[in-house]
Amino acid sequence: MTAGYVLRKVAQSIVTIAAIILLLFVMFRAMPGSPDRAIRNPHFTQQQQEDLRARYGLDRPLIPDQLVVYIESTLSGDLGYSIKYAGRPVIEVVAEAAGPTVLLLGIAEVLAIVIGMALGSIAGWHRGGWVDRLGGGLALVFYSMPYFVVGMPLIIVFAAGLGWFPTSGMTTPGGSSDPVTWLLDLGRHLVLPVTAVTLGLLGAYSILMRSSIIDTRTEDYVTTARAKGLADGRILRTHAFPNAMLPMVTQIAINLGWVVGGAITAEVVFNWPGIGTLTVAALDRRDYPLLQGIFLLVAVSVVLFNLLADLVYGYLDPRVRS
Amino acid sequence: MTTVAPVTAASTLPRRRRADGLRRLLARTDGLIGVAILVIFGLLALAPTLFVGPLQDVVTATGLPLDPPSAAALLGTDELGRDMVNITVHGARISMSIGLMATIITILLGTVVGIVAGYVGGVTDALLMRFSDFLLVLPTVVLALILAPVLDAVVGEGAELFGIRSTLLIVVVVIGLTSWPSCARVIRSQVLSLKERMFVDRARVVGSGPGWIMRRHILPNVVNLVVAQAVLTFASAVFTETTLAFIGLGDPAAPSWGQVLNAAQTAGAPGLGAWWYVLPPAACVVLVVLAFTLVGNALDDVLNPRARGRR
Repeated sequence: MTAGYVLRKVAQSIVTIAAIILLLFVMFRAMPGSPDRAIRNPHFTQQQQEDLRARYGLDRPLIPDQLVVYIESTLSGDLGYSIKYAGRPVIEVVAEAAGPTVLLLGIAEVLAIVIGMALGSIAGWHRGGWVDRLGGGLALVFYSMPYFVVGMPLIIVFAAGLGWFPTSGMTTPGGSSDPVTWLLDLGRHLVLPVTAVTLGLLGAYSILMRSSIIDTRTEDYVTTARAKGLADGRILRTHAFPNAMLPMVTQIAINLGWVVGGAITAEVVFNWPGIGTLTVAALDRRDYPLLQGIFLLVAVSVVLFNLLADLVYGYLDPRVRS
Repeated sequence: MTTVAPVTAASTLPRRRRADGLRRLLARTDGLIGVAILVIFGLLALAPTLFVGPLQDVVTATGLPLDPPSAAALLGTDELGRDMVNITVHGARISMSIGLMATIITILLGTVVGIVAGYVGGVTDALLMRFSDFLLVLPTVVLALILAPVLDAVVGEGAELFGIRSTLLIVVVVIGLTSWPSCARVIRSQVLSLKERMFVDRARVVGSGPGWIMRRHILPNVVNLVVAQAVLTFASAVFTETTLAFIGLGDPAAPSWGQVLNAAQTAGAPGLGAWWYVLPPAACVVLVVLAFTLVGNALDDVLNPRARGRR
């Protein structure tokens, strides 16, 4: 991978993040309940209104003064104060919710990638076989299901019906503080949400992997491997699979924005105390500073994951490096 | 003569091919199943009142709250005592009309941007594609959440357009704005190869301007692609609408399937084991999204011969 390639990708990501911050700046000023509108209150005298404007810097021009202040504070981690959580800094509230989301999404992503790739490559390699027919149908059905549509029946059957797993939350309130019991309790709470998100993701990954594997079947290096007399399974594992993985890397990163958005609904269904539940609570209370903070965090992490994917791709595929 | 040949080639040939395409679509199992499901839901969406009477509300509700399925209410009732069959059938109309409007916006924007970026090229292309990359990276659902209040302030809360309340319009606009980039990319790549073809050169030689060439020579040749994209976009529009309505951007007075599921979640239906409140709208969403995906993929295979044989 050349330094030029890395630099270009990093520069692109920085521009994108700058554009996101700019977008937020514009939207924040257009939103109902922006500070300037709040100050334009008939109960304040002209003098009071002007004083308030001066105090919050609203009397200075939008560009460049206010924009510069906005960028400075955003970069230093000052995202304003939440309305719902009684004036706590947004960054603190968001950081608290990020943990559970990363835990849930992390496990589900890894499971979906592993199972999806395995299913997809078997289906694609033995195209038209029983795995392909059955798996292809199932993959399409799961692909058509929003995460909460997977999650709600899971609760009805396995939590409300059979009572095997808790219906909601991350831990049992007032549960034991003993680390082993606590971990087991967390695990029990994780099973259903992780299953819902994994199933929701699985379809897309296995469909993509399947078509990617089908593309490699006609490549010269596969024919060569066959001519050398290699066993079928070995050709799949050592020749077709590594090459078919390339498009997956990009797709997984691009999907991430969708995954986070979709995971919001999974968290709501299971009342999982992560970014998703926080988002809905913020929307409910019209907590705009918090919504903005969440948007910034999610958008920036998607950009960074895309950058990572580009770099991994460049490392894996010599053709993109130049 | 030179100008006539490409025009006829562009306008009559695809039409014949399209009728042929429809037959080939229905000859495939996935295409036939998909079309059958869509016809059923299309009928329900066109005239829900004909099948189940007007949409019930708290006053006209016919049953007891959260009643399991019985002879009186085949799919049970919701927490207000409304018949689930009634709500679900009316949901078809709302979900599918939002999906349709969002698809129209997406396809219009995507086609125009795709053709212009691909044909004009250069700086225009670079700018348009960078902008679409930017939108692709933004998380749709979260963007929708912060766009909703802004749009609300722009059009005024409670405003109506074509009899649709602004809350639903916001969902339409948000889906449209965030999903055209992928459509534009697909069309652009097709245009890139089209503009190198002989008939475009010929048109340019006889003095046709870029606007004319894009409308009369490029557009007819990407129509097939646009049709397949439109059907696939419809699937993702219904999907996204359901998600947005579920997390609280829906309109309780015009319940789409996502809005019904939101109400079910609020009423605690999953935890209470009230499966009849969840299953009908959930099954409808899955069936419709599945059907559009099946038809879209089948159309893609049938109409775009180069992609054929991959599935």
